Amino acid sequence: MSISGLGPHGERAASPDRVALSPDDIASARAAQFRVAIALHTAISDWSEQQIAGIMSIFGDCGITVTEVVECNFAPHAQIQLLDRLREEKPDAIISIPVANAKVADAYRRVSRAGIRLLLLDNVPTGLLPGSDYATLVSADNFGLGAIGASLLAERIAKGGAVGVLAYDSEFFVTNEREIAFEKWMRANRPDIRMFVRKFDTIEAAGQDALALIAAQPELSGLFVVWDTPALRVVDALKQAGHSLPITTVDLGRETAAELASGGMICGIGAQQPYLQGKAVSQACVLALLGKQTPDWIALPGVAVSRENIAASLLALSGAMLDHENRR
Amino acid sequence: MAANPPPVRPPQNRGRGRPTTRESAGASLGAVLNLIRSGQATTRQELERESELGRAVVADRVATLADIGLIAESELGPATGGRAPRLLQFRKDLGCMLTATLDHSEIGVGIANLSGELFAEHHEAHDAGADARSMSQRILTLFDWMIAKHAPAMPVWGIGVSVPGPVVDGGDLPFMARTPSFLPAWDDIPLLELLFDRFAAPVWLRSSIETMTMGERFAGAGKALDSMLFVKVGQRIEAGLVCEGRLYRGAQGAAGLIGQMPVQAGDRGSTLDALAGSDMIASEGLAAAKSGKSPILGETLRRSGDVGAVDVSQAAQSGDPASIEILARSGRLVGRSVAMLANMLNPRLIVLSGTMAQTNDLLLAAVREIVYGESHPLVTRDLVIAKSQMGSSAGLVGAAMVVVESLFDPACLKDWVILGTPLAHPKFLSLRTSCKSLLADFAARQDQPDGAPEIASATRYSP
Repeated sequence: MSISGLGPHGERAASPDRVALSPDDIASARAAQFRVAIALHTAISDWSEQQIAGIMSIFGDCGITVTEVVECNFAPHAQIQLLDRLREEKPDAIISIPVANAKVADAYRRVSRAGIRLLLLDNVPTGLLPGSDYATLVSADNFGLGAIGASLLAERIAKGGAVGVLAYDSEFFVTNEREIAFEKWMRANRPDIRMFVRKFDTIEAAGQDALALIAAQPELSGLFVVWDTPALRVVDALKQAGHSLPITTVDLGRETAAELASGGMICGIGAQQPYLQGKAVSQACVLALLGKQTPDWIALPGVAVSRENIAASLLALSGAMLDHENRR
Repeated sequence: MAANPPPVRPPQNRGRGRPTTRESAGASLGAVLNLIRSGQATTRQELERESELGRAVVADRVATLADIGLIAESELGPATGGRAPRLLQFRKDLGCMLTATLDHSEIGVGIANLSGELFAEHHEAHDAGADARSMSQRILTLFDWMIAKHAPAMPVWGIGVSVPGPVVDGGDLPFMARTPSFLPAWDDIPLLELLFDRFAAPVWLRSSIETMTMGERFAGAGKALDSMLFVKVGQRIEAGLVCEGRLYRGAQGAAGLIGQMPVQAGDRGSTLDALAGSDMIASEGLAAAKSGKSPILGETLRRSGDVGAVDVSQAAQSGDPASIEILARSGRLVGRSVAMLANMLNPRLIVLSGTMAQTNDLLLAAVREIVYGESHPLVTRDLVIAKSQMGSSAGLVGAAMVVVESLFDPACLKDWVILGTPLAHPKFLSLRTSCKSLLADFAARQDQPDGAPEIASATRYSP
């Protein structure tokens, strides 16, 4: 599967193979006894759990200590405070997902200038550059995921229909990519479909925003929500209001998978490979700590998951994790 | 986020008596604004020193600029003996600027504040078979998205577009009046007029090498350096030169077309573009794939049916000997041309960019080897040769800086500063009228009688 998107600075994606560790790398990392902290947006999503599992699998092999895993519940101010505190504790590296752009840029810059290697997941704060400010960004092919969301939803929309897009009202690389790609795919492949966008600023608000969008555009016959956690809120809100619409989203969490498999409103998912993304970022982290070159942007392809292939997809995605665990 | 700028108050011609500051002081108002905007002076005392204007005049100009809404007096600065001075700040969020980069393989769009600082950007590859018309449409669509997402209430003060060819300086100051010719494939697309009409803002086009050089100069490795050579290695090989802190454009805006220089590779003689550019890298890679010399590229050929320059670059990074040799050969040829320029220009920094440089370190290594080996010791004593870390962002930042420099050029600024916005500049207002008529001509040529070119129509997509 190829990568259809470009990186936050127009980079071409590098394959995770580029950061495969050699036995010498692992031995060097073990000898160095590195300490790494992880700062996420939230720790209570399946995506986060799988990312952490992927990271831990590599760090365990390399004898790297994870000093702590912290989360900020999507709040930029809390993330700034967390980063400033972690910086004082001087880990060798921090793996983090920035929850905003300009608002958190200086905090990330302070980490980098303190000599702590920075590895980013999914987002790059404004003005930070690979190489000088951070080692590598690892993400899914979010442009491809948005296109998957569009193609799976389009199958359910009659000619001349209308769809709603629930976009995230924050400057966030991956959700922007999904939103733009969804719209681009629709224009190119289903120009008959009209699109209406509404932005939600918190996960909790997504359900009410979906209802407001439907009230403003009653002709909507489908929705795309830019990731799964708010999509589940949308499903709940629609059920309570007596609506039923086909919904596509991104990320194959347990609840989303259950909703899809049980014939609920979620009819298609662009799935990331968070376990493998976690492995890739931890491998890049090891190489960066050993002073080796790492690609500016590593991306993994998305997987189109529908009701028909949900079981096989779950097996394939979790299989990567199980394979690795078994090998260990 | 700032509100819209205050209403434009045209100068009052009172007909007799001395003219007011508003009527006569455009030049000094512009000078004071530029000192504040550039950070050279942030207090009244610094303004007096830097501008060489008297205290009363500075006080008057500051009060006028604050009244117009272009500057704000905010927090206290550090005291230097007496009362702490109030800091003066340019209100860089009064409006926004749109920027775009058009390349042979991708489009980039960005949105920046009035200091040229990007606050969002997006890059995407062209669709297969995309032509100039569809690319224009895509830029309009993405600009619409950028505004709806990031600046729905902000006026657009200017648009900068980076294009893949030299842009002839038509001398149409202070605003570009019509789309210049930059590539034959784009000759039928009135890109400037379409943007001008859609967003009601002045538009500037510059070559990609100029905008990337500007971007690297203002936000990348060249920040704070006054001499830099920027070399882009892609399908074309081009160079941008910063000399004494300023971009050198040449007589026609075509400086730096080093890909046209004749070079010799073994018994083959041709241009640098032909012997070291990405087309050569792709064709040599394809040959290596077909001959079995490169198993990795052979596998790529089997899977995708083709081998591109990026495939060769990635194969080389993975250790493929045939790909390494192709890139090293290209790097040595580029290095010889760059060494010649380095000996002539003695830059402090040489930055390599473009797809080939971004995806692989071999090119950088080969260029370093040749430049350090073939240059005068004084030239290389403090010379740094580095890979750009900005990628395609350099073009977006640079295009924004083109707009900033044009809008705040003293010759342009003096005619709008009193009006509070360049969108009220008399020459801009008259350009809007002529642009409408140009677009109507274009629509007539396209057999679209409603005056709305096909490429301006869009699927409904409401924020």
